[in-house]
Formats: sequence, C-alpha cells, structure tokens
Amino acid sequence: MANPNEVQGRLAQILGAVVDVEFPPESPLPEIYDAIRVPLEGKDDLILEVQMHLGNHRVRTVAMDSTDGLARGMVAYATGAPISVPVGPPALGRLFNVLGRPIDQRGPVVSDTYYPIHRPKPNFEDLTTRPEMFETGIKVIDLIAPFTKGGKMGVFGGAGTGKTVIISELIRSVAAVHSGVSVFAGVGERTREGTQLYYEMKDTYRVIDSTVMVFGQMNEPPGVRLRVGLTGLAHAEYFRDQGKDVLLFIDNIFRFSLSGSEVSALLGRMPSAVGYQPTLANEMGNLQERIASTKVGSITSMQAVYVPADDYSDPAPVATFTHLNGTIALERELAAQGLFPAVDPLASTSRLLDPAFVGEDHYNTAREVQRVLQRYKDLQDIIAILGIEELPAEDKILVARARRVQRFLTQPMFVAARFTGREGRYVPIKETIRGFRMILNGELDHVPEQMFYMAGPIDDVLERYEEAKAKGEI
Amino acid sequence: MPNPREIKRRIRSVKNIRQITMALEAVSASKVRRATAQALSARAYANTAMQVLTDIASSSGSVAALHPLLTRREQVGTVTICLITSDRGLSGAYNTNVIRVARQFAQHLGRPVRWVAVGRKGRDALVRLRENVEAEFIGLPAWWTIEALRPIRQVLVEDFLKGYADEVYVAYTEFINTLAQKPMVQRLLPLAFDEQSALNRPDYLKMMEKPESRIADYIFEPSAAAILEEIVPKFVENILLELVLESQASEHSARMVAMRNASDNAKALADDLTLSYNKARQAAITAEILDIVGGVEALRAQVAADAAAADAREAIKTHTH
Repeated sequence: MANPNEVQGRLAQILGAVVDVEFPPESPLPEIYDAIRVPLEGKDDLILEVQMHLGNHRVRTVAMDSTDGLARGMVAYATGAPISVPVGPPALGRLFNVLGRPIDQRGPVVSDTYYPIHRPKPNFEDLTTRPEMFETGIKVIDLIAPFTKGGKMGVFGGAGTGKTVIISELIRSVAAVHSGVSVFAGVGERTREGTQLYYEMKDTYRVIDSTVMVFGQMNEPPGVRLRVGLTGLAHAEYFRDQGKDVLLFIDNIFRFSLSGSEVSALLGRMPSAVGYQPTLANEMGNLQERIASTKVGSITSMQAVYVPADDYSDPAPVATFTHLNGTIALERELAAQGLFPAVDPLASTSRLLDPAFVGEDHYNTAREVQRVLQRYKDLQDIIAILGIEELPAEDKILVARARRVQRFLTQPMFVAARFTGREGRYVPIKETIRGFRMILNGELDHVPEQMFYMAGPIDDVLERYEEAKAKGEI
Repeated sequence: MPNPREIKRRIRSVKNIRQITMALEAVSASKVRRATAQALSARAYANTAMQVLTDIASSSGSVAALHPLLTRREQVGTVTICLITSDRGLSGAYNTNVIRVARQFAQHLGRPVRWVAVGRKGRDALVRLRENVEAEFIGLPAWWTIEALRPIRQVLVEDFLKGYADEVYVAYTEFINTLAQKPMVQRLLPLAFDEQSALNRPDYLKMMEKPESRIADYIFEPSAAAILEEIVPKFVENILLELVLESQASEHSARMVAMRNASDNAKALADDLTLSYNKARQAAITAEILDIVGGVEALRAQVAADAAAADAREAIKTHTH
C-alpha cells in the first residue's frame, strides 16, 4: 500500500477544508505544495496539499475533495511531490478534475508526461510579445478592446451581466476556427454550463479533439477551486512548451481568489481588506505570471472575472486588472437597457489600441466613439433636468449619434440565439470600423436609431432601412 | 459601489443647476403676469382693428383697391415669413415648436421664402438650416413697444410693397394660458380675408375670416384714400405688436413651466444621488468595521490556539515524565 518513498503520518486536526497532519519527529516534513494522500476505504485517495509548516512536526494542508468521513488519527502518506497531472496528446479530448483524473467516464488517461501543477513561471528572457490583433468578430470588442495574439484579456462583470455568454461566444468564434490547442478551465462556475460547453465542443463545433477541459465547479470544496486553474494551466504550458499556439479560457478567475479567502482564515491568516486573504496579490501573481507566451509557443488567454456587487474597486478584481493586456468591462446599466453584449466602451481598454499596432483608422474611430459616448454621458444629467430641447444644436446631433453608436455596439450572439431569437453575426473588424465611421460622419443621421439595434455589419442596418422604406413604413 | 466623492460632486452640480432653474422660474413668474396682461389687452385692440379692416376690405372692391396693403395679388411668388422666437433658451420647447411649425408651413407653401428672424434662437436655427434669412432682429427689448417694433414692421411692409414678396406671414406663439401655448402662422399682408375655405388649411394657420353679413357702412371723411393711408400702416403695426406680445407672454409662461419642471427634476435627481451617496458611505463604514472586527477575531483565535497548543505540550510533558 505505502510506497517506499512515502512518509507516513496521521491526521491531527480537521477544520472543514483545512486538515493538519502530524509526522513522526524522525522523518522529514513534506515540502510546501507537496501532496499528501489519505487512503479511504472503497474510494479514491483523498489528496491534501501542504500549505504551511506549523511546528511540532505538523503541517497544515488544504483538502482537494470533501473531508466528510475523515477522523483524527487516520493514516496519511506524504508523496514527496506536488499534485501532478497527465498532460500532452492523450489529454486532448478529455475532461479532467483538479487532480488530473478523467471525469468523462471514458477510461483512465495514460501519458508519458506528467506535469506538477505548481511550476515556475517562464524566465524573463524567454518571454515575447507580439503586438498582433486577434479578431473576435464581436464589434465592440474588436473596436474598443482588441485582443492580442498571445495576450491576456479579462472579461469583468457583476452577476448576470453576461460574462459566460461572452466567453462562450469567443470559444465559438475563436476556438472553433483555431488550428492550435484550446484549454478550458472551469473554476467555480455552474456545472450545467460546463456540461453544455463540453457537448457543444464535442457535437456542435467538433473541436473536442484539440481541446482539454478541466473542471472544478462551484459545488466542490475550496481546495479544488483554488488549484483547478493551475491544473488547466499545466495543460496549456505543456502544449506551449511543445511550440503550439494555445488558447486558454478560464471561467471564472474570481472563484480562485474567493476560494483562497475561504481557506485563508482556516489556515490561520489574518484577513486583509474586505475579508480577503492577505496573500491575495501574491496568489494571483503566481497564477497570472505563468500565463505567458514564450519564444517557443504562445498562450492566448481569456478570463472571466466576476465583480462582486458590481464594485470594480473590490480587491479581487483589482488584483486581476494589473496582469491583463486588456479588459472588457460589462455594465449592469447597459444590460438593463437590453444593450447586449453589455460591454462598457468607456471602461474597456486594451494595450493594443494604439495607432502603431492597429492603425490610425481603427484607433481614431475607437477614440471618437468613446468621445461621443463620454459626452453623451456628461450631458445625461442636463438632459434629465432640463430636457433634450435645451441642448445646443451640435449637442443634439451628438446625442442622436451617440444613441446610434450605442445601439450599433450591440450584436446578436451565436450562443444566445436561443434567447434572442436572432442568429449570431460575425463582423470583420474592417466592417466594424466602416460602420462606426459612417455613423460618426453623420451619414446615417436619417436612419431611425432602433434599426441599429442588434445588427451585424452596417449593411444590415441599411438593408433594414431600405426594407422599411420599400414597405412605406418611413 | 460608486465612489462617494464622485457622487458628491454630481450632487453639488445638480444642486447648482437647480438654483439657477429656480431663480429663472421666479424671474419668469414675475414677468408672466405683466406679459400676459399686455398680450390680452393688445389682443382686444388688434381683434377690433382686424374686424374694422376686414369690414372695410369687404365693403366694396373699390375701397379695398385704394390701399396697396389691402390688395391681394393675382400671382403669388415669393413669400416672406417673419419668425418670432426668443433671444434666450431655457424655455422648454417654446422655440423649437414655433420653428418647426414655421418650417412646416414653408414646406406646405412650396414657394421661395424670404425669412425675417426675430430673436436669436430663430436666427440661429434658420442659419444652421441654410435658409434664406433676409433680415434678423436680435437683442430684443425686454418689453415691446410700437417704437421698438417699427424697424421690423418697416422691413415686412417694404418687402411687400416693393414686390420682393407677394405675401407676408408671421410665425408666432399664441398664448392660451400659462400651461398651454400654440405655435401659429398668421398672414399679415395683404390685409384681406382669404377666399380659400378653412377646410384644407393646416390647423396652425390663422387667416382672416370672411366677415358675417353685418357690415358697417363707413363714411370716410375727408376721403377714403386719406383715411386708409393713415390707418392701415398703424393697423399693421398693431397686429404685429399683438403677435409679438402673444409670443412674449408664451415665452415667459413656457420658461416658467420648463424651469419649474427642471427644478423638480433636479430635486428628484439630487434626492436619488443623496440616497446612493448615503448608501455608499454606509457601505464603506460597514466594510471598515468588518475589516477591523475580522482582524481582531482572527488574532484572538490565533492567540487562543497558541495557548491551547502550549497547554497541550505542557500536558504531554507532564504525562511523559
């Protein structure tokens, strides 16, 4: 039963997801982040991960599964290595949990390569950045917050603003046509969504054979949610180190911070601002720094970030912001007005939005769109008090255009076709720029604003206009 | 949570706007009374003048022909439209409405228009729309008098007499009451009733009606021509003054109502913002207390745990010895 290299110890204390293990004084203590396994009758071993050394030959660990049924004095074995997961080609097309155990009921996964989930970040001199745009086909994202190949983007939003829809849409438009490998890490989100995604990847897009999926959803204990991101990352790193271009989707990185906070107090750390763990920035840094593109291969990552209570100044999203090349901010107010995707064009940014990278035309159009919307926002109080009649003529025109721009920023999503009843539209960036240019130049001031709502390229709008005109509605 | 400082800044700016709108409301309220009184008394005079003129005009063709301002032209080419607006804004839809109606009327006529703009708002709108503005009068007096009106009257009459225009219309705002004003267009010249039936006429267009059969028989002394020469231009002036005064009463009423609404809106907005400010402030305080209490509790737990561990060690030691 016990491997000769393993050191035997006993459980000394069980506090929810946090378990203390005592080892004999004569044997060495397991290292931090080493895995300890607890054999259970009739079940897979329970894995614990060492978090701190307590003294008196005790270590404090976090459990990677439910601790139900554990008892003090149970035997545990220090494995002498961190949690390792099978990576590489055999993992493709499979569904894993945090420990690298397949959960798709298609038999065990055997690989010649196992990666520990804790790995050093790439060396500074190996990092590369390619300022090259990654077209997503979503107008507002391509225009305001263009994606970088090999970069990191975050989709921020409060509850129910549409983060998962955007991530799914990106998977559809990007992963479905992507030639490399995709890795999806489901961190603390709904199991239903994960299942749905798995079947879509398998049956609708038929890209499951180049995809690895790792799930640790919201029903699982904090230890799982704390580490499942790393498991997904280990898969991505393997393919990157093989020279592949990897897409890494994480939904939702906030659950990683949250699970850290759930175990932090149990680990005996003093809580920091808003009750978060004092090591929040460090934990996030360790994870995010590993998501990087090297000279060998690239990882392009898209992460959903939940924003608790719509508060963008909450420490968890703040700790995430700084690591990203760009942010897509979802705004409840827009969602409430039915403006989907509810991306706030004034709060979303990308490092790539620079005339040197995307060209003057794209840059100027995006900035002009933001300027018009900002002005409209500034005028909103005045409109609320005095009414639109009191605005100077040029502001009235600006407001009319801003409302058209706002509506043209919406777009039907492929993955939301069931809810909206409209087929999704993929809009190339050139079309996007052309459409917004026309609105800003006032070429479409005569077209009623509702015709811009939920349209694809600007030609859709013109088509609607001509149709309405032919019917004599205008 | 929105930033309390940001909310506070917005509350301040909303309150400042409210102060202005409340002041304007008070000013307009005091002007409304005088403007209304003026308009109503002018209306009585102008209506009677109109009545007399239509009587004369319809009494016999020969008399009407005696004065050019009473003569209708066979062929109507260019028309002049005098657009009466205000110099100042913040009067709700007052200016927008009359401008809209005037333009609608011009379109309805479908003839070349020479615009005479009275009031800066109308001038600006016409210039922006690239209309043909022949004359403009801005920097209007606070209270209209016949003297202040004379240059406008001169321009309009000259347009008609010199043949630049075959008809002269005035777009103005009729004062109904403090809450309701109606943008209208009235024909000023020629001062003759319209043969056209009232049926296919837009509802904003006011024309002289054919008088009832009750026609007074006027005796002109010394001569009809001399009398008409004297009174017709005066009547034109009076009718114009009435329209201007109607507009002015409408302007002040519209402004008063618009400003009252604006003050109410500002109050509602300030109240909303104050509520969210208080919420944000309270949330920040609660979060801070929670942080402190959480920290204390964590420390206490740790101290207790350490003490318990020390006790346990002590117990083990004594036990083994």
